[in-house]
Amino acid sequence: MPESSPRRSIWARVTGQSPFVVTLFALVLGLVFGAIVIVTTTAPVLDAWRGFFTSWGAPGHAIKVTADNVGAAYRIMFTGSVFSPATLWHAITTGQGWSNALTPISETLTYATPLTIASIGVGIAFQTGIFNIGANGQAMMGGIAGAYVGTLIHLPTVLHLPFTLLAGIAGGVLAGSVPGLLKAYTGAHEVIVTLMFNYVVSAILLYTLLSTALQAPGQQNDIARTLDPSAQLAPLFGTASGLRVNYGLVIAAVVVLFAWWFLERSSLGFDFRVTGANPQAARASGINAKAVIILVFAISGGLAGLAGVTELAGFYKTLDGGFLVGNAGIGFTAITVSLLGRNKPIGIVWASLLFAALGVGGRAMQAATGIPLDLATVIQSAVVLFVATPVLVKEIFRLRTSPTTALQLATKGWGS
Amino acid sequence: MSIDVRPETSPTARIPSGRTRGIGVIMLAIGLFTALVFGVGSGFSAHSSLTFNPVSLANAPWRVGTLTLLTAWSNVVLGLAIIALGLDVLARLPRRGVMARFGVVAVLFFFALLLWAARTTGPSQINFVNLTAVLIGSSALAMVLVFGSLSGVMCERAGVVNIAIEGQFIGGAFVGSMIASTTHNFFLAAFVGALVGGVLGLVLAFLSLRYLSDQIIVGVVLVTMLGSLSSYLNLQVFTPFPQYNTGNLAPNLPIPLLSKIPVIGPVFFDQTGFFYLMIVLVALVSFALFKTRWGLRVRAVGEHPQAAASVGIKVIGVRYANVIMGGAIAGVGGVAFMASQGQFQPGYTSGLGYIALAALIFGRWRPSGAVVASVLFGLSVYLADNLQTYQVPVPTEILGMFPYVITIAVVSGLIGRVRPPAADGLPYKRD
Repeated sequence: MPESSPRRSIWARVTGQSPFVVTLFALVLGLVFGAIVIVTTTAPVLDAWRGFFTSWGAPGHAIKVTADNVGAAYRIMFTGSVFSPATLWHAITTGQGWSNALTPISETLTYATPLTIASIGVGIAFQTGIFNIGANGQAMMGGIAGAYVGTLIHLPTVLHLPFTLLAGIAGGVLAGSVPGLLKAYTGAHEVIVTLMFNYVVSAILLYTLLSTALQAPGQQNDIARTLDPSAQLAPLFGTASGLRVNYGLVIAAVVVLFAWWFLERSSLGFDFRVTGANPQAARASGINAKAVIILVFAISGGLAGLAGVTELAGFYKTLDGGFLVGNAGIGFTAITVSLLGRNKPIGIVWASLLFAALGVGGRAMQAATGIPLDLATVIQSAVVLFVATPVLVKEIFRLRTSPTTALQLATKGWGS
Repeated sequence: MSIDVRPETSPTARIPSGRTRGIGVIMLAIGLFTALVFGVGSGFSAHSSLTFNPVSLANAPWRVGTLTLLTAWSNVVLGLAIIALGLDVLARLPRRGVMARFGVVAVLFFFALLLWAARTTGPSQINFVNLTAVLIGSSALAMVLVFGSLSGVMCERAGVVNIAIEGQFIGGAFVGSMIASTTHNFFLAAFVGALVGGVLGLVLAFLSLRYLSDQIIVGVVLVTMLGSLSSYLNLQVFTPFPQYNTGNLAPNLPIPLLSKIPVIGPVFFDQTGFFYLMIVLVALVSFALFKTRWGLRVRAVGEHPQAAASVGIKVIGVRYANVIMGGAIAGVGGVAFMASQGQFQPGYTSGLGYIALAALIFGRWRPSGAVVASVLFGLSVYLADNLQTYQVPVPTEILGMFPYVITIAVVSGLIGRVRPPAADGLPYKRD
């Protein structure tokens, strides 16, 4: 709506044009959506509203119960994933209990580490106009390959850890290359192929855990041997600190720097971005489309594989049938993280910290209030739906509309 | 637009002969494998039995005797038939019907696989294949896939990619279970499932038509949301109140007389209401899409929206209507799936919505083709789930990959080049 009332123009001036503002408002809308879900499904809240007309005090009571429930859920989400003011104050004043105060943020960083790496991979693919929805399978493959090297080969740490990580990358590259080659040579739509490949890799995971040397000796269930200590990523502040944040964080930082350099400074990265922005122009300027597709899947898959092996070596240490399944499926969260971060390395860092906090906080919320952890995923997907529709967010909040901030991604038909 | 890696093809261009040759070679390989491994490999003394009577004999007044075959020779013959089909493709390089032939090959291959699995000296105690049971089992899955791919036909013929079919399945299954448990009325459950699917279609249409958001991203995020929302609600509602999610197997409605025909009767005429609804829908959508003014308009919108708009067709309106109707069909599909499983479970659609999309592609965006493809996929999902009862020497997990690998093969165009509606997935802007 082009006409501008004075009030709206002030609002528009305050909020400016930055895509960050849209993201922020999308987050607000996502949290509102989550609150609606809590309100409509929590028994005490519904009971309070059912009695809305029964007495003069009832409406106030209903609103209070609602605010209490939603407030408690979101407060625990925050204190469970960032810090709790009381514990922090206690630590500052007494000098005791620092580990307790820092646990929430450490958990968030631990969760964010592989998430960032996987999201960078998805983001690079998005920037090339490729929708790699198979990051979860690729990460799983990375975990499987890493588990083989990390458990069945025994080496000193200096060799073992790098080899384990490299195996993870190789696993991811392998899983990513199949869809890449198929897309390059047959034109198969990557969304369906990568998605179906997730199921194939899940089957491979169960197979390796149940029927190969990877299975822990004497074990009947889908549990693998534990990684050798020499193949694990050590906690950043030592085991004694009790904080689980590990050296994977350093790997994630290196990946972010590499991605920034690759996309902004390298000529191959430039080719990727041109291909994503305008395939016709890319072809006209002599960029080999097939090579770009194959390479971007290899890189994206490799990063997902690295994410998987980082998750294994830094967090789980033991591969089992629940690895990256369901709520732990970082590869699926990585898609939403990448979209939220607008596929840029720095944006992805913030987005993955945010979504890691939602995930970790969701766990705390589930433990404290019984509201299922899935709410975190509901909020995440709502946020991303709004981020993918910036114009809607702008209309809701009466922001100035500019067509340029829309997420420009590759929409395409099947096969042809 | 995406990266177009292939040379421009005009709408009249057909499958390149190199690819057809490749398919012929694949058929030959399958035929040889069937003849040698399933045929000669099973030894010449083994035999397999085929039974035809349904498990519940109440509706089978005419029993059909058991047919015992020599496994090796039967499979050698089946293998030779596949080889003959492959040679025919290689020799004539037909421009049409390659996919149909591949479908025949797939059915023959599955049949040989079953005979081989049930051979007398085989690893399992089960020495017969109940053909009727196999067909009934796969028809339930095929039915769900048909609902999904019909939904895809409705949306994609109008130029919108509905990748949220999986989400509409989940939504339909959830509310369907709730309604069916509380009212014991499957008609109402289907109606509410259609409503939920339609609302999801509306969300997809609203975001992608009005705000030109990426259809595939919106679709995938909708699936994520429905997956987590249903899992959330499952814990909040169905776990404390299990009575809302139980005992929802839809009753069979046998058609008098017809249901008594051996084999065909139990498979086609002794099914749930959802099955008959599916058949009616297939006929209806086929007719409406290809024989009516409305269908011509829809296809025009999907092929060339600018041209359609220039003759006064409301492109956006047609797309809205079709995506909502498509969503509703997928929602009913979700209820049908729930009614064949008896209850709702989070995550139990396990990619069926995406397999339905692959069936749509395999069926070349035609309802009839989608039915054929859905039958093949349904059969492969059924076999993947049930072959382990025959203790075939392939691990369960590897068998489980079967439908997904076939889906990948299909969308990779290993089975012939397909041409989607020209404007499929492209945003349309009025100017």
